[in-house]
Order: sequence, then structure tokens, then C-alpha cells
Amino acid sequence: MDDDYYSIESILAENQKIQCTFKIDIPDMGHLDGGRERDIKALSKIQIPMWMAYILIYSDYADFNIPSPFQARVRNALNAEAKSVKLSNLVGQGGLCLDDVPASEVSNILVKTFRARLPEVIDQAQHFASINAAGGGAGASDGTLTFREGLDGTERELFALAQESARRTRKWYTTSERGRK
Amino acid sequence: MALPASLRASAIPAELELIASEHLVEIVPLVAMERTAFISGAYGPLRPPQKCKIPIWMATNLKMKKKCHIVPPQWLNIEYLQERLSRETSHPEFSEMPFRFAEIAKVLLDVASDDFQNPDKIRSLLKDIREARQAKSREGLSQLDHSELSLPNLCAMEINEIRPFFVRAMGVLTQFVKDPEARPPE
Repeated sequence: MDDDYYSIESILAENQKIQCTFKIDIPDMGHLDGGRERDIKALSKIQIPMWMAYILIYSDYADFNIPSPFQARVRNALNAEAKSVKLSNLVGQGGLCLDDVPASEVSNILVKTFRARLPEVIDQAQHFASINAAGGGAGASDGTLTFREGLDGTERELFALAQESARRTRKWYTTSERGRK
Repeated sequence: MALPASLRASAIPAELELIASEHLVEIVPLVAMERTAFISGAYGPLRPPQKCKIPIWMATNLKMKKKCHIVPPQWLNIEYLQERLSRETSHPEFSEMPFRFAEIAKVLLDVASDDFQNPDKIRSLLKDIREARQAKSREGLSQLDHSELSLPNLCAMEINEIRPFFVRAMGVLTQFVKDPEARPPE
């Protein structure tokens, strides 16, 4: 995330909160946690946006907990069947699971998950019209519908790209040159 | 950029069709014409009934005025396509087709279907080939990695169709991969 300064996605992703455990007392900063307390006490757990968490962690004021999308339960689920996990539940509707938690394990999980889910995303995007027409919103299309609801922000973007490009190509194949002249 | 977002990601099919129209095709002219200079080169002279090679855009134009017959390229007939289709369905890799076969075939079939022996059969063969190839590029998707993608024998129209989301997907993978030198996890 450090190198794409102008990326809106990264800015949005940095706004996501991460749970931190403070190591020391910090006076007059209680409003970070919603404002009831005046000071932050040591060992209290507070949700901090990513962009602020960096500096707190690096300067050793706080420790962070691995965010829930990367915890063991979810990791195991992703390993077992990446397609059945609803990423949008984990990162919030329209949220993005971009994150640079420095661990190669997390990186591997992300890559594996993404690659496992990609074909399904593209498949559905390319056949979106026919899925809807055939299933009528019930029965056969239930599984695909559930998967579609579970897409995270990046996957949604890919879905839209693939859908648009497939639509354009199909239109070209089916309309005739002769009508124009 | 001034271009609308939908045009930035890749070329539109109509643009590819325009590019493909520069390819030469053989015609049997029905009118006589002297050798004529165009920006892309000089073509002609047209002397019926001798065959002559001219660009597709010119051939479609003449054809629509009923001033020529188009001779289909040697790869655009039932036997050749049938053979390609069976190769396409029996081998895992893409079989070799002319780079802009989809565009050329469509333009010629649209304007000059009466110059083909069995245009409907050719159309359905082309459709089958296209679907067989689409299934393959879909499989390739699961092997996508962050650094490179080689597309041997993929054609202009197919590359164009998959370009927007392949590029984006590889971009995402680049972000995810921590150590760019390491082999992707299998």
C-alpha cells in the first residue's frame, strides 16, 4: 500500500479499523474509542484505523491483533474451499481486503484465495444475463447468487470489467454490419 | 484522460474490425478500374474476370454495390474449420488461427454470404471454435500469476475480450504477492 499514493482503493482500505492493544497510558485521547473515557489506559483494546495504527505500532505504543479476516478460522475455511467464503462479510459490504500485514503466510492466503475465486467471478460475469434469465432468482441460481453477494470490492470491480467486455464482444458478434449501410 | 472510462481499458470490437479491414482479400471484379493510389497503397487495376487482391474495406464496399465477388480466404471454408475445430477440442493448447480471423470472417460473412458455399455451416463452425477457445482461456485464468502471461495463438478479438480483467487481476496479484521472485504457490 505504501507505493500507490494516489490509489483511492488504498486510501479506503487504510480507513479500515484494526484492533490494537495499547501498551501504555495515553492521556486525553479517549475520544478515539468513542469518547466515554478521558484517557486511554494501558492494555485497553481499541479499534484504530489502519493509517493511524502504523505509527502507533512502529513507535511501540501499541500492539495489533491479526484482523479477523486473517485469523485461523477464516484461513482454514479459505484453504478448504475458497469459493464458499463470503469475503464481503469479512471486510464489510463494498469493503476491500487489501492489506499489507507483513507476513508471507497472509500473502500466500491472499494469492491462493484470489486465484481460486477468480474463474468463478469471471464465469458469472460472462454469463450473468443467462444466469438471471434461466434461474429467475430461485432454485438453480441460489449458489451463484450467494457467491455473488459474497464478492469483495476488488472482485466486484473485476466482475464489472468482465461483464462489460463480454457484453461488448457479444454485441459485436450478433449485430450485423449490413444494417448500418 | 478525455476518453470515457469504457474505452480506456481496451479497444472496442469495431476498432479491431477496422484494423482487420486493412487485410487483403481476393476478389473477382465485375467492373474495370485503373490502378488507384490510396493512403495504404495502390491497388488494382481491376480487369474482369481476372482475380485481384484488394483490402477488405474496399472489397466490402464494391461488394455492396454488387461490383465484385469475394473469393473466401483459404482458411475460411468448411473442411479447414472442421479440422481446426476437432484439433481445438482434442488438444489442450490453442490451435493456430489467423490472428484476426474472427473479424475477417464476420465481415466477409456479413456482406458476401452469397459467395460462400454454405455460410450457415461456416458460421456455426466459427461459433463452435470460438466457444471451445473461450473455455480454454477460462482454464488459463486459474493459472494466472502476477508477473507474466503468454498467450500463444490467441487471436486479436479474444485478447481484446479478456484484456480488461486479466490486466486488473494481475495487478491485484502483484499487490498480494509479497516476494516477487518466489514461485507462485501451487
